[in-house]
Amino acid sequence: MTIPAPGDPVTGNPAPVNPAAGNPSPIRVVIVDDHAIFRSGLKADLDPDIVVAGEAGTVEEAIAVIAARRPDVVLLDVHLPGGRGGGGREVLAGSAPLLATTRFLALSVSDAAEDVVSVIRAGARGYVTKTISGPEISGAVRRVAGGDAVFSPRLAGFVLDAFGTAPADIADDELDRLSARELEVMRLIARGYSYKEVAKELFISIKTVETHVSAVLRKLQLSSRHELTRWAAERRLL
Amino acid sequence: MTTPPVRPPLVRSSDRVIAGVCAGLANHLGWPVRMVRIGMLVAALAGGAGVAFYGWLWIMVPTADESARRSARRPASPIAPAVSAPDMPGTPEIPGTPGVPGSPESAGSAEAAGRARQGSWRSKVPGMPFGKEILLGAGLLLAAGILIARLLGVDVPLGTLIPVAAILGGAAIAWMQLDETRRAGLVDKTKADQAGGWARLAAGLALVVAGVLVMVSGSGSWEATWLALLASVAVLGGVALVLLPWGLKFWRDLETERAGRVRATERAEIAAHLHDSVLQTLALIQRRAGNEHDVIRLARAQERELRGWLYRDADKESGQLSEGIEAAAAEVEDTLGHAVEVVSVGDCVMTQRHEALVQAAREAMLNAARHGGGTVSVYLEVTDDAAEVFVKDRGPGFDPESVPPDRLGVRESIIGRMNRHGGTAAIISSPDGTEVRLRLPVTAAASAGTAAAAANNSNGEAKP
Repeated sequence: MTIPAPGDPVTGNPAPVNPAAGNPSPIRVVIVDDHAIFRSGLKADLDPDIVVAGEAGTVEEAIAVIAARRPDVVLLDVHLPGGRGGGGREVLAGSAPLLATTRFLALSVSDAAEDVVSVIRAGARGYVTKTISGPEISGAVRRVAGGDAVFSPRLAGFVLDAFGTAPADIADDELDRLSARELEVMRLIARGYSYKEVAKELFISIKTVETHVSAVLRKLQLSSRHELTRWAAERRLL
Repeated sequence: MTTPPVRPPLVRSSDRVIAGVCAGLANHLGWPVRMVRIGMLVAALAGGAGVAFYGWLWIMVPTADESARRSARRPASPIAPAVSAPDMPGTPEIPGTPGVPGSPESAGSAEAAGRARQGSWRSKVPGMPFGKEILLGAGLLLAAGILIARLLGVDVPLGTLIPVAAILGGAAIAWMQLDETRRAGLVDKTKADQAGGWARLAAGLALVVAGVLVMVSGSGSWEATWLALLASVAVLGGVALVLLPWGLKFWRDLETERAGRVRATERAEIAAHLHDSVLQTLALIQRRAGNEHDVIRLARAQERELRGWLYRDADKESGQLSEGIEAAAAEVEDTLGHAVEVVSVGDCVMTQRHEALVQAAREAMLNAARHGGGTVSVYLEVTDDAAEVFVKDRGPGFDPESVPPDRLGVRESIIGRMNRHGGTAAIISSPDGTEVRLRLPVTAAASAGTAAAAANNSNGEAKP
């Protein structure tokens, strides 16, 4: 029993490394939610090409599991016990070095503006509510894994509310306002259009829609725009 | 539901001569106030029993305000649905579900209680409008009587009477102060109240100390009094020095206990709300577990109610357009059991014309929930020049042109209504779903000019 011991790490080591490095097709996700029932339900709902690499129920567990497994996507509940009470935001802050390779998709039952926008600004690539259906969540995971952003109608509504519905002037800082096209895309998403429908409506490709949405996400994360801060302050953000 | 006649709670009335004890007692027992007061006076003469009883009630019975505040904080108990019924609009309104039995009665009893309370307020006649003056007059009369008695040669022990009067007066002031602080401390501790309280306490203390001193030193020379005063101040100082840490600790404990109580009441309020809403709904869901439609409807209604409670914006003013749209969506959800998601950007105060917009939107949501599949998405956007509502479903779609003219739903309730109020409506339908677009310009004047053009535009949108 003592003799094979040195061999074990050798055979065991490549296993966790391989799927992350070599094989791109299955998407590895970590589900972070404090409700075990929800986690198992979500696992059952995900498509077969999405592999659940780990689960966590608290902030500390989540940071540890994400650092150990290095998943492609983390499905992150906004409200989490543990840590210093920061919930999902704290997990994002704790996993900051991994943000380049691991994408976070925020999940929540709450549709309060402060919850949604604070996780987005902390680095999440999208936000969906927990009432989302199985195929939709799988689609959202794939989209986030591909580097795109996922906007629910409600998030699009928040963005429009925060940035205002008037298109950008030339003089404005590029980060502080949405372009006319981005506004159109956001409006259609808020109206319940899927990316495909938005593309059809605006006579552009889905890829272009995704580019616009990613640009809006970047602005939402980085903008220090006066109205956004005021808007956030009114809702006790920041 | 036969309820025994409910006595009004025993509280000290604000219609008062001294502390409102008699009036409160009369109100509670349903006796005339005058009778109670006379009875109390008679009892007071009988060896001071009345005074003791009065004092006891004064200390033990809360004032009407305190009591109201206390009962407002206390959670609604399950046996008192009257208190909580108006707070739970979600559950009992759902048509087709067995409503909470007794809610009309309980509402009635709440109303009756309100009326009774109002009645008690109305019967509040200023019992003795010049109470203070009368008291002062009585005091002066007493003093005059004593003086006359002295003049007539009767030996009045002034040396004892004056200190005793001073002590009694000081004590009375201090005790009234206790009553006041109890009241003021519960309302809010404003600086003014505090200052007044301290002044009164100081005055009472000075009177009592002076009285005791005079009594002890036997109304003797100033020197003796002075010495006694010095000694007593020194003793008081020593006692204060020793007791200060203990007093501070006591005060701190009191504060923590108060904070704990606030937390407990908050918790109790949450528990009461959960009981009234969530637990009731869960019970209903268990009973109708077989009916998927009902379960979804109940769950949606409860979710909406709970969300409204958890995330309600205290600063948000009521009567906004978004509220109207959300209410319409809630109504459609309840009647058809179909999820309707509302996203709103911007808001404005609801006007008569917006009412039409909400009605048209409601009609569109009803259509979408009836004929479409999946979630109905509603998007409201209010800008400086118009309010727009988009209602989208994912149903099989229909051809707006082929809707028979007698179908009132689309033609009259949506398009006609919007046009009448200077707005426009367009219906875009494809096999992927249908979207109804409603637009209401801000001013009727501005819309009058553009109405025709906008109507053309909407036709153009509808046709391709």
